[in-house]
Amino acid sequence: MNQPLILIIEDEEPLRRFLIPTLTGQEYQVLSAATATEGLAMARSHNPDLVLLDLGLPDLDGMAVLRELRSWSRKPVMILSARNQERDKVLALDHGADDYLAKPFGAGELLARIRVALRHTLQSDVSEPVVCSGGLRIDLERREVSREGSPVKLTALEYRLLEALARRQGKVATHTQLLTEVWGPGGAGNTHYLRIYMAMLRKKLETDPTRPRHFITEPNVGYRLNLEAPGD
Amino acid sequence: MEPQQRPILVALGSEARSLRLIQAALRLSRERSAPWVAVHVETGGSQLTEDAEQVQVWLQEAQRLGAGIEIVQAPTLAQGLSEVTRTTRAQVLLLGRSSDRWPWARVGHSTADELQRRGLDAEIEVMDDRTSPAEQDSRGMGFGAMVGALSVLAATSGVAWLLPREGNIALVLPVYLAAVTFIAHHWGQRLAVLASVLGALLYNFMLETPRFSGASGHWPNLLFFLAMLLAAQAVVGLLHRLRRQAREVHRREVHTASLYLLGRALARSRSSEEVADTAAEHIRRVFKAEACLLLPLAVDWRILPPANSGINLPPPADLLARLEVGERPGDPLEPLICDQAYCLSLTGTDRSEGILRVLPRETIGLPPDTWELLKAFAVQIALALERLRWLEEARKAQVESETERMRSTLLGAIGHDLRTPLAAIHGAAGSLLLPGQLTDPARRDLLTMIQEESERLAHLLGNILDLTRLESGAIQVQKEWQPLEEVVGSALGQLEKRQGILPVRVDLPEALPLAPLDAVLIEQVLVNLLSNAQRHAPGRDMDLRAWDEPGWVHLEVADRGPGIPAGYQDKVFEKFFRLPEAGEGGVGLGLAICRAIVQAHGGRIQVVDRPGGGSSFQLALPLDGVPPELPEDAP
Repeated sequence: MNQPLILIIEDEEPLRRFLIPTLTGQEYQVLSAATATEGLAMARSHNPDLVLLDLGLPDLDGMAVLRELRSWSRKPVMILSARNQERDKVLALDHGADDYLAKPFGAGELLARIRVALRHTLQSDVSEPVVCSGGLRIDLERREVSREGSPVKLTALEYRLLEALARRQGKVATHTQLLTEVWGPGGAGNTHYLRIYMAMLRKKLETDPTRPRHFITEPNVGYRLNLEAPGD
Repeated sequence: MEPQQRPILVALGSEARSLRLIQAALRLSRERSAPWVAVHVETGGSQLTEDAEQVQVWLQEAQRLGAGIEIVQAPTLAQGLSEVTRTTRAQVLLLGRSSDRWPWARVGHSTADELQRRGLDAEIEVMDDRTSPAEQDSRGMGFGAMVGALSVLAATSGVAWLLPREGNIALVLPVYLAAVTFIAHHWGQRLAVLASVLGALLYNFMLETPRFSGASGHWPNLLFFLAMLLAAQAVVGLLHRLRRQAREVHRREVHTASLYLLGRALARSRSSEEVADTAAEHIRRVFKAEACLLLPLAVDWRILPPANSGINLPPPADLLARLEVGERPGDPLEPLICDQAYCLSLTGTDRSEGILRVLPRETIGLPPDTWELLKAFAVQIALALERLRWLEEARKAQVESETERMRSTLLGAIGHDLRTPLAAIHGAAGSLLLPGQLTDPARRDLLTMIQEESERLAHLLGNILDLTRLESGAIQVQKEWQPLEEVVGSALGQLEKRQGILPVRVDLPEALPLAPLDAVLIEQVLVNLLSNAQRHAPGRDMDLRAWDEPGWVHLEVADRGPGIPAGYQDKVFEKFFRLPEAGEGGVGLGLAICRAIVQAHGGRIQVVDRPGGGSSFQLALPLDGVPPELPEDAP
């Protein structure tokens, strides 16, 4: 398989200087752009496998770049957001971005997320029927859930929530996305439903619900199913 | 063009009834939409200075109410008035009945009679001195009064009958005098005069020897009659004055009381809206008038209370010019009558705070004897507004000095807490770049240090940013109903991702209700509390507990550290406060952030000593609102 091509659209030079060697060191091909215009041109000419997009670009709003990218590409886009861009971050995720990383982030975290995002694209043609997270096994075809080998009974809504998370294969799912997928278009806004059902899922599937290892809360954004969780 | 209406004249002297004349003339001129002119005739007789001043007061008052002013000199009042009536072609001449002291002087000699005789082409309206309900001695010759007076007289005569009668008028006189005084007091002057005449006759007919002779040739009897008459007059005069004084005292009492009530209510007002509401309410009750405050904004005027729409017209330009808010050289307290409303400048100690506009319900306006009170009201209102303005300024100044203090503390903190990690990072990076041989473990050490120190920097900057945003209101608390478990979970997750598993015992009851809170912010509170505990008692057990009571949910983070020394339990929540013996790390923002967040939730945070050593940080968050219902679900 070819080395995946990653495009970095980031205006701050120190970050680019950190990102480029980190990624090339991991056998990725890397392109970088300091402005949105330059980045969009590169994306069109090189069709990268993944885009790292900074939300605070000088020439164009990050959302506009995302819309432009999404108008022709389904490739994963990962948002790099600063501390005061929580709202933009959620908006970007709801509008097609695949994941986000809040600055400052470590190299380990970055690489783990990139792995998840790329795995998702590379395997997207084959819908993975079984998702595992530590000792948790979710069979999406048979609609069966087991923990440490023993089956767990879930209610209809609990299962739909779990399924929505599992289908994302480790990527973050926003509150709005989960609510719409589980409760339908009318469900958006009832974030407490989500929280209550997440608590129920954790009670059934986590060893210690106050130290969740499978169902990770992304504050103010949503949840993700941690595919790299250690076994129980 | 419509012919100019013939004016209405009103004759003013120094007497108090001039006010009623002014009011009557104003009313008449409104009814007939005719101009009106106040006339004063200087007869050249000896005039007291006080009287002259009083005349000026009435003339000014008339002028204020829109009257023209005429002052003429003439030998007699009647002559002067008829002259003015002719020259101005007045349609009506209003005058008061002359207040001659002696009743007999009124008959046929009054100015009105004389004017009638002069055959003027104007209606002559005479207002009686006693037509005002306030001063009128309405207890006239009513049937009941008559019966009462006669009974008293009869009873008195009965008593007099019993007295030794050998012509001892000295004994009888006081008895009758008492009776007449009683009658004057209760039924008024006229009956008292009647009673004195009757008394004299009774005495003559019944008590004087020989009885029923009717002979009145005795000197003492005539004197008796006269004395009685005079005494009755004197007594009535005295009583009137006393009554007027009593009324005055009563009025003052009412004024003082209403001022006191207003002042007390204003002292409790916390905003200009409240001041305006209070003022309007009190003015409505005391003056029977609607009131509003016009407060200057940068360009426009703010009208409070907004509900008083009837008088919420924007102030006319001339009103502004005349009141000259803020820089009026004269007495800014005199009411200005403008479009039936009374406008006063609300002048505090240093400048005008705005305008008080009072619209009386009765078209006749506010009697001038209430102006003093109205002015006093205006002063109170102005002082209340001024107090609020000063409070606001003081608050601003405090915020500014607080910001200044924070800035300098921040600079101090930056000086130390930012430089130290920066120096370490800089140094470590330099060593790594040196051409030379560093062992692998040494390189690793340096790199780890760079990572840790930069994390510390990021954390510190994050705290500073958060606190600034919390305090400036840039962070809004977004409460959502949620299980505490999740917040606790993500707080622990955040810490343990950095530091590995922490020795935290978590005790969350199964039945804990959902709580309305901002998950991100409360998570930060828990992270701050737990990392504090971790820093001050590394490796020792920590406890995180939650419980609920009606209306509140409580969270506790307890450690087995050295505890907070007595006297510092409140101070630890202040910005940049660090315990004297606290070691490295932290700039004293973590707990300040916790407090800001908890307070923004409407909750409380405190630290108490933990039994058995250590400290216990406890926060209480209100469970306000209705918890949401759960959606339906199928197994």
